[in-house]
Amino acid sequence: MSHEVPVLEAQPRERLGTRYAKRLRLKGQLPAVIYGHGSEPTPVSVNEKLMLSALRRGLHVFEIKVSGGASETCLVKELQFGWQGDNVVHVDLTRVNLDEMVTVSVTINFIGTPESAKRIGAVLTHDISELELHCKVRDIPESIRVDLTNMVGDIMTVAQLKLAAGLTAVSNPHAALARVVVVLEEATGEAATTAATLAEPEVLTAKKEDPATAPGGGDDKKADKKK
Amino acid sequence: MKLLPSRVKYRKQQRGKMKGCATRGNYVAFGDYGLQSLGTVWLSGRQIDAGRIAAQHFLRRQGKLYIRVFPEKPISKKPLETRMGTGKAEVEYWAARVKPGTILFEVEGVPEDLAKQALARVAHKMPVRCRMVSRRLAV
Repeated sequence: MSHEVPVLEAQPRERLGTRYAKRLRLKGQLPAVIYGHGSEPTPVSVNEKLMLSALRRGLHVFEIKVSGGASETCLVKELQFGWQGDNVVHVDLTRVNLDEMVTVSVTINFIGTPESAKRIGAVLTHDISELELHCKVRDIPESIRVDLTNMVGDIMTVAQLKLAAGLTAVSNPHAALARVVVVLEEATGEAATTAATLAEPEVLTAKKEDPATAPGGGDDKKADKKK
Repeated sequence: MKLLPSRVKYRKQQRGKMKGCATRGNYVAFGDYGLQSLGTVWLSGRQIDAGRIAAQHFLRRQGKLYIRVFPEKPISKKPLETRMGTGKAEVEYWAARVKPGTILFEVEGVPEDLAKQALARVAHKMPVRCRMVSRRLAV
């Protein structure tokens, strides 16, 4: 369980918009917004390095100390990513109480390899990398450890997961967490490639061949007209 | 591996333009690590297949490989020493439209160093600059 709530200093943003947000990012700041609990939304900026390192550790809750204001307990609600798909450009923070019930998604850490995955050609795949949990803010774990060493059968489901007290999985209990699949060897030779290249796709709007226009059928009519 | 669609609405397509970056398919969704394109390119079915073979030969059935792009665009080309005109040429090959940020391949079930080596081999087969990426942060 994570009981540590890191304190982050934030500066209020006076000028909003893409251009000013970009300038903040160049200075090593990350644009963010704090909202919720009936108060007005506050656009702020936080230290990018500190925020990202905390997020990488799996922390969800922060104590945000806005300069010139009181500190607030905030939960990371949403992250916005840039064009690279993994670079955080904006953070949404929502005001929370530590005893409030929330739904968050937590990263799953898979440990160990089951016996069935040690067969030749068998691969252990993880269907889910994050699990949605319903719990109190103070109980949000940094990650969930799943030991696959004693996995029964080839599939482990969400229902088989042993969660700590106070945590409830929101995800479908029948959803597979991890499974052992046997990877079939595909034809890698050149013959397989050429065979696939030569085939032509079916064209849905292709005109069907009319017997009148077909070679031999239409020529007689043209010949009659000429006569 | 299939290098072209099984069913299409029209036989030929106009060339079109590829502006901007990928807004979909730009993060690792299925595997643990992925190969991300940093440029814009028409990736032919043959090139995708070359990448697949390079990764599979290296991994030797150890992990699972996901191919995130599919060649769905028909590319036509006039034969050599042909005069211009007389209609659109026949389809030469099928290509996937790749924009900066598109994830091309993903690997699952192998350690990071092995995935890095496998994806580096795939990157050598690609006609575009690529980088290796891992799963993004969850909240």
